[in-house]
Amino acid sequence: MIKHTLWEKTALFFRYSHLNMKLVLEYKLNRSLITLAIFCREMISVVVMVLILLRFLHIRGWDLHELLFLYSFLFLSYSLFVFLFAGIRDFDGMVHSGEFDRLLTRPIGLMFQIISARIDFPATLGHGIVGVVLFLNTAFSVGIDWTWQNALYYILVILGGTMIQASIFLLSACFSFWTIKTENMRNLLFFNSRRIAGYPITFYPMLIQKLLIFVVPFSFVNYFPSQFFLRKDDFAPFWEGYLYLTPVVGIVLFFLVYLIWRKGVRSYTSTGNSMFG
Amino acid sequence: MSRAYLELAKKSFQNNLVYRAEYLAGVLNAVVMIFVNISIWRAIYEEEGALEGVQFKMMATYVVLSFLLQTLYVMDEYFVEVKVRSGLISSDLLKPISFRLFVFSNTIGTMIFRLLLQLSPALLLSIVLFQMLPPFSVTMTLYFAISALLGFLVLYNLNFLVWISSFWFYWTFSLVTIKDAAVLIFSGALVPVWFMPDWLADFVEATPFASIYSTPIRIYLGMIPENEIVTGLLVQVLWVVILGLAGAVLWHRASRKLCVQGG
Repeated sequence: MIKHTLWEKTALFFRYSHLNMKLVLEYKLNRSLITLAIFCREMISVVVMVLILLRFLHIRGWDLHELLFLYSFLFLSYSLFVFLFAGIRDFDGMVHSGEFDRLLTRPIGLMFQIISARIDFPATLGHGIVGVVLFLNTAFSVGIDWTWQNALYYILVILGGTMIQASIFLLSACFSFWTIKTENMRNLLFFNSRRIAGYPITFYPMLIQKLLIFVVPFSFVNYFPSQFFLRKDDFAPFWEGYLYLTPVVGIVLFFLVYLIWRKGVRSYTSTGNSMFG
Repeated sequence: MSRAYLELAKKSFQNNLVYRAEYLAGVLNAVVMIFVNISIWRAIYEEEGALEGVQFKMMATYVVLSFLLQTLYVMDEYFVEVKVRSGLISSDLLKPISFRLFVFSNTIGTMIFRLLLQLSPALLLSIVLFQMLPPFSVTMTLYFAISALLGFLVLYNLNFLVWISSFWFYWTFSLVTIKDAAVLIFSGALVPVWFMPDWLADFVEATPFASIYSTPIRIYLGMIPENEIVTGLLVQVLWVVILGLAGAVLWHRASRKLCVQGG
């Protein structure tokens, strides 16, 4: 494979983004409506939370702003995830339609192509706007001193959270190489875990807490990072180190899954029907 | 003539049988969602025994019923859209059957599939896992069944309006999604109406949304006095009629407007 300089890759990435942008702007009204729809869909759980908290003021010591701050991590990191890794999310489809075969024939890294070839702007914006709205409404009212260390920590955990979610999707994508359909299972596992993580994990029985720490590590996407800032009482039973592990979990998990992915690419045999060839 | 529609409903029932993974995912999803929501309500109730005169057990039952109804109320939202966009609708219109009844039969077939094969196991699991309360009385069970069916019809007629809009828009993902969000929030599917702020509760009671989830579940829990149940059911019937008429008018316009691009 030809080695490309970082500069060339960056230029190519922006070229791809440019084309993606054109694709989106071709149907301005439709894409704006889709963005609005995703925004509304994601707001359901936020509105529910607000309605409940308007009535009860706090649940187990968590007030509305703290809960929404906890929630904002999920939206911001997911938004970044669909911005960067929409190709991984839609990988099943790429293999089934034969589009993946096309990528194999091009002289540049596969992962680079998958990442840059697809950007889901409506989903990025839909989730992102919810995340930003929640963040702006809560970040300055839950008693966080925004020093540069805290800001750096925040950026790192958002990136870590993005990597964690990317790893889950990449693992599911790996199964496509051995023609196993995991889309249903993945959606069930991912989106339910995400819903569960919307509230502090201490609201749930021990088994669920363990699952969210060790199996589908969503607790590192939002619970532990927000506890770093909020230090609510219910953090007591957990190990202090969890607060700092998010970026590590993200990188290690992604690296491990990437190894499986490499193995998968090597054993890949095409389905032979390139629909868009 | 009605035999044709019966066959169509049967076909739609059988179509659902093919997707086993989807089926399992549906049951599992319902149980997980019930579990999550009950955990959250348990945390809310920890500090007080009863809120607004509603005990935790009642709230847990509310959650179970709401998610069971949600499983039952899932419809094929893109059935009409796909036909309009692919042009297949032109051959459907040539058939000597009413297109509206065709869509309805298809929806009913799917509903019966969900009732028998998804709702029943999920219900049994819920009784074992979540200790849901039995219905208030035998008559209430009957009222609940009627009310749930009427709720289904209200939602169906509301959905039909959105589906038919595909004759103008071709892509209805946005409209369907926004409609779903409105239904889930305003119908009391996720937060009971009695926990909402007064202004919102008043708004909800004045719309068809309350007829979809809130009315049947409150009947089941015995929260509507016996002499008011019939009024509740009549309100549901009223919404079925209003939305049904709107659907008929819209369909009349749509069928004259239809423009098939090749196909």
